[in-house]
Amino acid sequence: MEQGLVVTQLDIQPGECIKVKGKILSDAKGFAVNVGKDSSTLLLHFNPRFDCHGDVNTIVCNSKQDGTWGEEDRKADFPFQHGDKTEICISFNETEATVKLPDAEFQFPNRLGMEKIEYLAVEGDFKVKAIKFSDQL
Amino acid sequence: MSEKLEIFNLGLKSGHSLKIKGKISNDTDSFSINLGCRSSDLAFHFNPRFNESVIVCNSKCSNAWQAEHRDDHLCFSRGSSVKIVIEMLEDKFQVKLPDGHEVEFPNRHCYSKIDYMSVKGGFKVTSFKLD
Repeated sequence: MEQGLVVTQLDIQPGECIKVKGKILSDAKGFAVNVGKDSSTLLLHFNPRFDCHGDVNTIVCNSKQDGTWGEEDRKADFPFQHGDKTEICISFNETEATVKLPDAEFQFPNRLGMEKIEYLAVEGDFKVKAIKFSDQL
Repeated sequence: MSEKLEIFNLGLKSGHSLKIKGKISNDTDSFSINLGCRSSDLAFHFNPRFNESVIVCNSKCSNAWQAEHRDDHLCFSRGSSVKIVIEMLEDKFQVKLPDGHEVEFPNRHCYSKIDYMSVKGGFKVTSFKLD
């Protein structure tokens, strides 16, 4: 996937929230929002796939440590549509990360025991409009 | 000033604007918002200095600062939350300050797209938005 917006040297603490607002491209095959320490150390790779890597309308979540992917976690629900404007809120605590969408919510374990988020990256067919860092969920 | 936040692949194009909200630290002497293609090449360095009561603007080419532009209309104060709107035009950057005052700085190196932003010093970004 094409690398999109990258934000580094963040200091997001447990309980704080990163809100990514933007638009899913009308011909989107997939996109991802990654949060973690850097590009090779990810607490969460949140990757909705419309049609890519053999998946259709599936969200694939994973973690990455020392550049190596962990075990994929696939979600049954797929609350995305081509061309949609959406808002993705990511927060975390010591046990899990939470992704809140307008009509759905997903959890993913904090496998790396990460204590702060320093890195945010958006990849693929998603155009970022705004990013907000806030104290509240 | 320490590096606070760096953003890559920002994709700010001329004709569009960038809205940044954040909080100025209580004890800071200054902060800066930098736009360009990398830290060594900046189209626009926007640097309010509380210790001198001035806003310094500049550009940077291959790590060399160019001629400074100074505006003594410093309408922020330490400890306050502010919204800064930077409009990128073909020939200049136009910054709208919280009290409506505008600071202009020429687009000296004819940038048509800004992919790099950094925020340094005593300013904690709470949001940014591309319009």
